[in-house]
Amino acid sequence: MKTIPPPCPEPESGQKYWRSLEQLADAPEFRQWLEREFPDGASELVDPVSRRSFVKLMSASFALGGLGFLGAGCRRPEEKILPFGKGPEGYIHGVPQYFATAMPTRGTAIPLVVKSSDGRPTKIEGNPDHPDSNGATDPFAQASLLSLYDPDRAQRYLQGGNRISKEKALDELSRISKQLVANAGAKTAFLLEQSSSPSRRRLVSVLQVKCREAKYAIYEPVDLQANRRVTGSTPYFKVDQAKAILSLDCDFIGGEADAHQLIRGFSAGRRIQKVSDSMNRLYAVEGLMTLTGMNADHRLRVPNSHVATVAVHVAARVSPQNQQVAALVARLPLSSLIPPFDPTNADAKKKADDRQKFLEGWVAECAADLLANPGASLVLAGHRQPMAVHVLANLLNSALGNVGKTVLYSPVPETATNSDLSALATALRAGQIDTLIIVGGNPAYNAPEDLKWAEAQSKAKEIIRLGAYEDETFAATPQATLHLPGAHYLESWGDAVTSDGTSVSIQPLVAPLFDGLTELEVLARLAGLETTKPYDIVRETLRGSVSGANFEETWKKFLHDGFMPGQKPSTTDRQLSAAEVTQAFASLAPVSLSKDSLEIVFHRDYRMDDGRWNNNGWLQEFPDPVTKATWDSLILISRKTAEELGVKNMTTSKTTTDIVKVTLQVGGETKSITGPIWITPGMADNSLGLALGYGRKKTPQGGTGRIGNGVGRYNAYELRTSSTMGFATGAKLEKTGEPRYELAITQEHGAMEGRPIIREANKAQYEKSPKFANNFDLEAHSDFIPKNKTPEEGPLGRPKGIYEHPYHAYETRKSMNGVNLEGKHVKSDIHQWGMAVDLNQCVGCGACVLACQAENNVPIVGKDQVKRNREMHWLRIDRYFSGAGDTLEAMVDDPQAVHQPMMCQHCENAPCESVCPVNATVHDEEGLNVMAYNRCVGTRYCSNNCAWKVRRFNFLDFNRRSLDQLIGTPNAVYSSPMVGKTDGEWTLKRWWKNPDIGTRPQDEWDILKLVRNPDVTVRMRGVMEKCTFCVQRIEQAKIGQKVKAGQTGDVRVPDGVIRPACQQVCPAEAIVFGNQLDPNSRVSQLQKSERNYEVLGFLETRPRVTYLARIRNPNPKMPDYHDIALNVQPYVERSGNPYEPHGHAADHGSEKKGAH
Amino acid sequence: MASHAPTIEVPLPPKELQREPLVLNHRPLGWISNQIAVIAEGKAPMWWWIAFVPSFIVMCIGASMIAYQVGTGVGVWGLMIPVGWAWDITNFVWWIGIGHAGTLISAILCLLRQRWRTSINRAAEAMTIFAVMCAGIFPAFHVGRVWFAWWLLPIPNANGIWPQFRSPLLWDVFAVSTYFTVSLLFWYMGLIPDLATMRDRAKSKLRQIGYGIAALGWTGSNRHWWNYEKAYLLLAGLSTPLVLSVHSIVSFDFAVSQVPGWHTTIFPPYFVAGAIFSGFGMVLTLVLPLRAICKLEDVITIRHVELMCKVLLATGSIVGYAYGMEFFIAWYGGNPYELYAFQNRAFGPYWWSYWSMITCNVISPHFFWSKRLRTNLWFVFAISIVVNIGMWFERFVIIVTSLHRDYMPSNWAYFSPTWVDIWTYIGTIGLFMTLFLLFVRFLPLCNIAEVKVVSSHGDPHHPLGGAKGGH
Repeated sequence: MKTIPPPCPEPESGQKYWRSLEQLADAPEFRQWLEREFPDGASELVDPVSRRSFVKLMSASFALGGLGFLGAGCRRPEEKILPFGKGPEGYIHGVPQYFATAMPTRGTAIPLVVKSSDGRPTKIEGNPDHPDSNGATDPFAQASLLSLYDPDRAQRYLQGGNRISKEKALDELSRISKQLVANAGAKTAFLLEQSSSPSRRRLVSVLQVKCREAKYAIYEPVDLQANRRVTGSTPYFKVDQAKAILSLDCDFIGGEADAHQLIRGFSAGRRIQKVSDSMNRLYAVEGLMTLTGMNADHRLRVPNSHVATVAVHVAARVSPQNQQVAALVARLPLSSLIPPFDPTNADAKKKADDRQKFLEGWVAECAADLLANPGASLVLAGHRQPMAVHVLANLLNSALGNVGKTVLYSPVPETATNSDLSALATALRAGQIDTLIIVGGNPAYNAPEDLKWAEAQSKAKEIIRLGAYEDETFAATPQATLHLPGAHYLESWGDAVTSDGTSVSIQPLVAPLFDGLTELEVLARLAGLETTKPYDIVRETLRGSVSGANFEETWKKFLHDGFMPGQKPSTTDRQLSAAEVTQAFASLAPVSLSKDSLEIVFHRDYRMDDGRWNNNGWLQEFPDPVTKATWDSLILISRKTAEELGVKNMTTSKTTTDIVKVTLQVGGETKSITGPIWITPGMADNSLGLALGYGRKKTPQGGTGRIGNGVGRYNAYELRTSSTMGFATGAKLEKTGEPRYELAITQEHGAMEGRPIIREANKAQYEKSPKFANNFDLEAHSDFIPKNKTPEEGPLGRPKGIYEHPYHAYETRKSMNGVNLEGKHVKSDIHQWGMAVDLNQCVGCGACVLACQAENNVPIVGKDQVKRNREMHWLRIDRYFSGAGDTLEAMVDDPQAVHQPMMCQHCENAPCESVCPVNATVHDEEGLNVMAYNRCVGTRYCSNNCAWKVRRFNFLDFNRRSLDQLIGTPNAVYSSPMVGKTDGEWTLKRWWKNPDIGTRPQDEWDILKLVRNPDVTVRMRGVMEKCTFCVQRIEQAKIGQKVKAGQTGDVRVPDGVIRPACQQVCPAEAIVFGNQLDPNSRVSQLQKSERNYEVLGFLETRPRVTYLARIRNPNPKMPDYHDIALNVQPYVERSGNPYEPHGHAADHGSEKKGAH
Repeated sequence: MASHAPTIEVPLPPKELQREPLVLNHRPLGWISNQIAVIAEGKAPMWWWIAFVPSFIVMCIGASMIAYQVGTGVGVWGLMIPVGWAWDITNFVWWIGIGHAGTLISAILCLLRQRWRTSINRAAEAMTIFAVMCAGIFPAFHVGRVWFAWWLLPIPNANGIWPQFRSPLLWDVFAVSTYFTVSLLFWYMGLIPDLATMRDRAKSKLRQIGYGIAALGWTGSNRHWWNYEKAYLLLAGLSTPLVLSVHSIVSFDFAVSQVPGWHTTIFPPYFVAGAIFSGFGMVLTLVLPLRAICKLEDVITIRHVELMCKVLLATGSIVGYAYGMEFFIAWYGGNPYELYAFQNRAFGPYWWSYWSMITCNVISPHFFWSKRLRTNLWFVFAISIVVNIGMWFERFVIIVTSLHRDYMPSNWAYFSPTWVDIWTYIGTIGLFMTLFLLFVRFLPLCNIAEVKVVSSHGDPHHPLGGAKGGH
């Protein structure tokens, strides 16, 4: 039928025109004409005869259509797309938009720029314009994107366990608010999380005026602002300015606040561009093996409870005149670190004397090095350490003249409180609190065990809870709780202050997916304020803090840039009073540990943090930077202690380990947890590392979600009390006798086997023979041919293999046969991509792994599949340990560690390409090794032939299966779409209706598909995949440049415009991507460095990814100084000393530049 | 059954002219026809059903494993990164190796005028064809997206994408399919005179028509024989290089790669020798029981068995030499990665598979230096099975132990098979046995026409043979 124009919603206005007089007259004939499909006289199927022929015709058509059934008749279901009624302003389909925002962290924030694809955030980056950022973030910020799309987030407004409408919930809030204001907050308590938000601070101060009787407390299970308690202000460290750094159990590279900023400073202080460049030196005193310890030049392995003693002795040597420290030296002698021994046993006595001498030497030389760098040194104390260690660090920094130079005091605001968590627990028990308002946090899960919070909480008559999840805190008292779903920060308006004092704005990228509320909104409603929209609250806060006429412009700029300069960090020293120092030191006493009285260290997990990321699959599958474990919590233990206690792990065929029971006296009760043991190289003896954030369950009342449910055998909070937040002593460990437990460890083999995969040198060796990196491996033993004529032009050449490089050989042969290839050359002469990874910069934090996962739609596979070595990460961080000497003892106890980001090497002569039978992996003209997913049939030959094993195979449709369907029994029985049911429907039928949906439940599918980067294919099963150098970003940049170039024809993308996800996120700036054809590009510069080398370069595959050798900066005077980096020692034993010319390379190598 | 028909006494030639006869007891020509053809005639005997039913069930289990794998993903096998191939390609190479003996016996021994081949070539060729069919299943189904496996074929298409001719996997496609086609033709060629015999002996109409069509109108005329012999010789000439090429090319899957332990120039000859070794092992495994059950002791004689044992000894020694040479070169070559790969084979986590291989392949054939052991049929049968186990381990060792620890220690891992791996493999054995038993039931399992030629009655110079008209 002809489309009849829809009735005009409004009366027609303006000049009236008519088509004919009939229309004007609105004659019936005209109406009929309008509605008729065909004009008068056209043949129509109205008479019975025609109808018969119609039926005949149609049945013939159907028959023909049926013939083509297999070809054309069998179609996927029709999916209609609907156009925008009106184009949103500034919207171009397929072109993402970027918005500045920030991720609030404990006490600070990470400034961000978030990519929004068609209105949904799809990638998080740092805000490079922020004065204290290089555009990098940490792993948590990367993974926070997935939490936004978590189908298990709180989605309901609940009162007393019943679902209510949002309006009803808001009415409840105003009722409570009236009640609060009426009785000035009597019998009310607020429990908040740490936040740097000026708006929250303002709202709480308003509340404190209106409800002056109420208690206000802040609780963080991991208090990263510990040193604020010493100086009253958050310290701001300029690590890049420090030449000598001493970390007192401070994992500033991984586990402290703003780690990504500290990494930036640390790596900047180690950057070597030319041989003469200086670099910082890191001393670490710690018990757990942390990222900081792994990157340290000297690491002193002592239990956490002994760190204070070491700190005292360093302080005594740095400022000998300090009487209070001198008194401590007598109280805490270094000999107290040595376990008791039998003085009659000469052997034991000698060992103890050696250790004493070692410790004294270590402390003395470390102190001397600090003193040699006044104003350019830095002492950091970790959040797990007691106040005394923070005071000592403060004293040391003052004495070394570091304050104002490497240590500044930041003006980050803190919400004023008048209570704390234990006071609240006491008050609750005493019945002094009727109304408990919990904004964020999850105290029922992570409060100290001695407070028995869940029980205390149930004493409150009414609980108002804003939470992102219906978690343990909700489950503890669902009947009394008004539960409000919390909005994710990407759904919220807000503000924060970064540690350098800059204000940052938090803008929503998307309307709350589950209609959640923000903290600001809830507080404002409770305070009974008129303004309850978070947008207006933030605006008002800003209006109150800035002066100047044009506020609207300031506001717009604040939102657009994402930040606004604030108060600068203060450079004045905060001297502590003698009384404060005495008070802090009072609690220090020697701690004696043995295998029967172990120390437990409660560490902030590199993945779960304090448990807040428990339901985030990306983080669950993110390998721990130290242990490389995924989907599990381990009990870390040293080799010696494990041997003494008779427990072990085994990694020959399966990574299995003993299950042990750890027992501790907690507040008069004996508490225990059971979990898998893991012998960690570099772990202090008689010390156990327990990760926070695991052992959570999903229950019908509440808890964690589907991902985190049951991950990890233990919940470390069960052993943690308010007095032992950092570490506890007096624990016992015993084997439970349970069968060995299987772990999912992504790197089972931690030794480099004498292979020069990571090449390193001490600073002195590097200065002596700068080209040492090319003096390793098989190529070092072969002849040398010059590549460039002069040394200035670049690297002097390459080793000559037995055979000519196949590409060159092919071309030579062709030209010999008289075929000129010049015209057919397909190589691009404007772009040849390459990447350089500076191993001296990389600290192994792993942010790149998650950035790659987020950018490239890399699926998670679950614990069972990781156990089967099927993780999908395109980029992995290889970590190797190496120890001194031959004995196992020496190898494992005090190892050195190295990290190496490993991704597709984009070989010019790629071994994967020549073996693919279907041409699915090929080279493009710009030097990329590209995968045509659509062409791949999945023979896996390419992966077998890849020496770096960086290709990943989608074994089981990981994108379309939910995790519980990826848990194979020991013998791998997986639900098959042929027989399984999903959402109560036969999966095959469901698949028939929508082939994309796989076997995921509908709710998971609907929301998780939003997180996908629309610029990158989502790969199906049976397809090989790997790093593409973020080809989507390359292509976008090239298109952008073409548009920009216009008639000029300058289509070469300028250096620095294309940054793959791993480079963009790297706080250490270790990864540099660029155009090798541009001699001035950063990658060309780096690849010209004498430290540049190819991993397995002797295979002559010519990787486009090269690595810059690592340089250690050990202090030759230290007792743990090694002439040759431990990692290189096995190589030296087998193949000779690479720092001294040898073999053929000696004749032709570094010393005789361009000899040929 | 005329197995105990009275034997015929003939005067012996002088001692120095005596050769060990290939058909014992001077069996007459009619006896030969009858003795062989009767196996495929009449009601199926009980032993056949006892063997067939379990084989068929196992085959069906195998088919359901493949259906499960295709419906769910390659992940149902134990494969992973770095071990991207394991049981799949191990089984593929193993079956292809087994498929070597048939064509070798019929083609190369034919060209070399080894007359003893006649009584075993039919069964060996059938074995070849069925083994290659089993082999083909693995590369076809080991790929991630089976429904696109046809992309390996050079079919012109609208995308203008061709297969990658540099890839050894593509060479495999050509090598295996050519080998299969030629072997099938060769086998069928050789069957024609016997099919005519079956036709002539057939009692039921159905059988007459069936064998009649298959016999292509063979009448046994001189002209037919003349054409037949010509064609047979040509096909033998064509097959001979294929025997050498197919396993050389299969070995290129490994030799062409750069994996330490795979990248070795010794592979082509060593793989061919290993293939003949395992092929003869399998022929013995099949023929020894058949010989006893079907009362063919006079046709497949102890001498046949002994000769095959000698082939096992020779090829087993070549294989043993190759193992030693690999180690020597790994040390002599000075490449630490390769040296490690070989040390790891012998002393790494898969040491048990390496030493199983050495025991089965290097040690066991050397028993055949002893004539007493060569003629002990139970012993020979046991060793023939051991050889096949050993050759399976050889492929497993090459594939899995090389892949599980290659260049980068960071991704070293340990492979374990799943029950789907195991049952898929057993399923192909079921398929093989099913096909072979059907062959035994419906086709003459020895070459009736050619065996007659090597019998005393077929020998014109023999007192019983020739124009004298022996019977």
